[in-house]
Amino acid sequence: MANTSGNAYGLTALCPIINGHTNDSNPLYKAAGESHDKEVRRILQALPLNQESPFANTDNTYLARLFILNDVFFQQGNDFKRDQLKSKYLCFNSNFHGELEPYLTSLWNNNENQVREIWQHCVAFESVSNANDFVRYIKSCQLTTTLFFNGSNDQPVAEQLKALYVKQMFSEFVLTQQGKSAAELKQAFKYFLQRVQLNDVKSPSWKPGQTEVAL
Amino acid sequence: MSYIDGISMKESKSLDLYDIQGNVCKGYGRYGFPKARYCFLSFQHTHSAREFLALLIEKITTAETWPVSESSDHHRIKPNSTLNLGFTYSGLKKLGLPERSLKGFPVDFTMGMKARSEILGDTGISAPEHWDDIWQQDNVHAWVAINARDQDAIEFEFNALGDLVTQHPDGVRIMSGIKGPNNTILPYQDASAVFENGLPTAKEHFGFTDGIGNPYFEGCGNSMSRLPGRGKLMRDGSWQPLATGEFVLGHVDEAQEYPPAPEPKLLSRNGTYMVYRKLHENVDTFNGYIDNLAKDFDGSRDLLMAKMSGRWPDNGAPLTLAATDEEKETLDAKMASIELRVSEGDKSALIERKELRRQWVDFTFNDDKSGSRCPVGAHIRRTNTRGSLETEHKAFHRPGALVDRRRLMRRGLPYGGIDEAKSDSAEQGIIFMSIGASIERQFEFVQQQWVNYSNDFKLGNDKDPLIGSHDGKLTDKHIIQGCPIKGAKPPFFCTQMPRFVETRGGDYFFIPSISALRMIAEGLIDPS
Repeated sequence: MANTSGNAYGLTALCPIINGHTNDSNPLYKAAGESHDKEVRRILQALPLNQESPFANTDNTYLARLFILNDVFFQQGNDFKRDQLKSKYLCFNSNFHGELEPYLTSLWNNNENQVREIWQHCVAFESVSNANDFVRYIKSCQLTTTLFFNGSNDQPVAEQLKALYVKQMFSEFVLTQQGKSAAELKQAFKYFLQRVQLNDVKSPSWKPGQTEVAL
Repeated sequence: MSYIDGISMKESKSLDLYDIQGNVCKGYGRYGFPKARYCFLSFQHTHSAREFLALLIEKITTAETWPVSESSDHHRIKPNSTLNLGFTYSGLKKLGLPERSLKGFPVDFTMGMKARSEILGDTGISAPEHWDDIWQQDNVHAWVAINARDQDAIEFEFNALGDLVTQHPDGVRIMSGIKGPNNTILPYQDASAVFENGLPTAKEHFGFTDGIGNPYFEGCGNSMSRLPGRGKLMRDGSWQPLATGEFVLGHVDEAQEYPPAPEPKLLSRNGTYMVYRKLHENVDTFNGYIDNLAKDFDGSRDLLMAKMSGRWPDNGAPLTLAATDEEKETLDAKMASIELRVSEGDKSALIERKELRRQWVDFTFNDDKSGSRCPVGAHIRRTNTRGSLETEHKAFHRPGALVDRRRLMRRGLPYGGIDEAKSDSAEQGIIFMSIGASIERQFEFVQQQWVNYSNDFKLGNDKDPLIGSHDGKLTDKHIIQGCPIKGAKPPFFCTQMPRFVETRGGDYFFIPSISALRMIAEGLIDPS
């Protein structure tokens, strides 16, 4: 089925950016005015990374990407009709675990200010004032695709992070226990199991967006 | 054209070996030249530098074929010493190459090795700020290499070069700033095979036998008997010469294309690129690490070393041939008995010896996918993956499709270990040189992806156990895969690996053809 692969969901939404200039943008640019797409680009380029990213703050994101589609480009010959976009588009791709509605609701609920800041430059976003409106808005911009992130399975992010955590900790365990006697190994492994808490998915584990850790 | 049952077939492609510099086609060490001196020139005034160059060209050794045999007839045509020459990008600029020709050189070469240090893992103690003084300046313009049978011949040729330089005081000078033994600063880098009992060996200072298995390319002038194990691996297990264009510009490469090269074609054709690296070997650190680890390792110290390099240190036999101490004993006994029969004049023993030695080079990892014989992360399995990256049967058009474009023609010799005792602080290591048509695609890729990273081997962030840029962290490790069958040996982990090898300098050089050298010297390079 399109958009889903097992428990993974592949969202692609194209949100038209308002043509023309803003009136109330950054005071530095007020005199000359600033196009909406430039405003969005500035906001996107300043978005915090890794653990501070709004997507680290949205449950179950595997990989998300926001970019601006300026126009369509053709590389073929000159002698046929060329299409042009009527506006620029804010493209929102996200691969995540689970259903679309709760995912978008979580994005809104956990990052409302950032979502508003980004999408305020999109056509008809003024009609969005709550999570339900946002879900409806994104769905109206959604394309049916089969674009999926290849670097993930379809399990919940917390489970994948815990699995990686355990794998890494187990590597460390192996490297530090080489050559130990069976009794010592048994003791150390008991301690290891206590430490990693296999049955607790949340803790200890890596956090979404975490890129470095002191082992 | 093929290699069938040890019978040499004639090669179809012939190259103008008189136009190609000798170091491209020959590893001089193998031809009885165990001594070398490398020096670096700085050009001043273009006109005078070109005059100097015009005279130096006459001394350059080409790739013309010499017989390997030392019999008296052949002796005459083999020189006492060789001389080869290469330029950095700034050197070519200084020699007045037209802007349009200069712009045709690839970015890796124009940037030079120092600027590529992050890619190469030349960080920390290997970072350019720790290199020999000569590399702290930006005016190394040319590399001159003298290889010789003995030190006297080296001195003779070096003096002759010095005379030529003296005659062109406005054009060229030999640069100083190379760290030598006993805290000396020298205007040259001496290199020498490690001698044992008065005879040159193929050893380096950690005790490994080095320099086995250089690639074989079409038209190189070497005997076809050297092809198996050195060419490209075919689906039926046979070997074919690699395309000339992998190592020499102006010829078709493995992608059936001409490698990108500057205009005019005469400037690049029969030329190539060379990476020069002074690699310091921390022998105390290495020996200490191995001694310490050997206490816990189930096997001899030599086996542990072999599990890091992929070859036995004493004679370079690959682990594919003997993967345990017992197998090595059997192999040694077999070799000893053949040698005895050879010494007694048994002709069939000669053939047996040749056949056995062939297996030093002619092997694959097909029967050792798990690495229980030669560890997946061992040095030789990283730097020449043979067919091992074709993890799914017939995934590629040839088993070695991924490595055929990433082969390194290694040149160079060890340095140091003669005038002072070996230690971490003494000057000893390897002058590593690698020749190829693309520094980025070949040397830099191997260095970045296979030496200092392991995604292609499914070994995470592990690095080459010998030359990887380790820092002694717990996870700076090398895994010696266990054996699930035959006695069920567990894997062994070498952890907290320190940096055994440090970069102490080097750069990227263009090795022009003789025709191109003449045109450069005469100021005739014209890309229009």
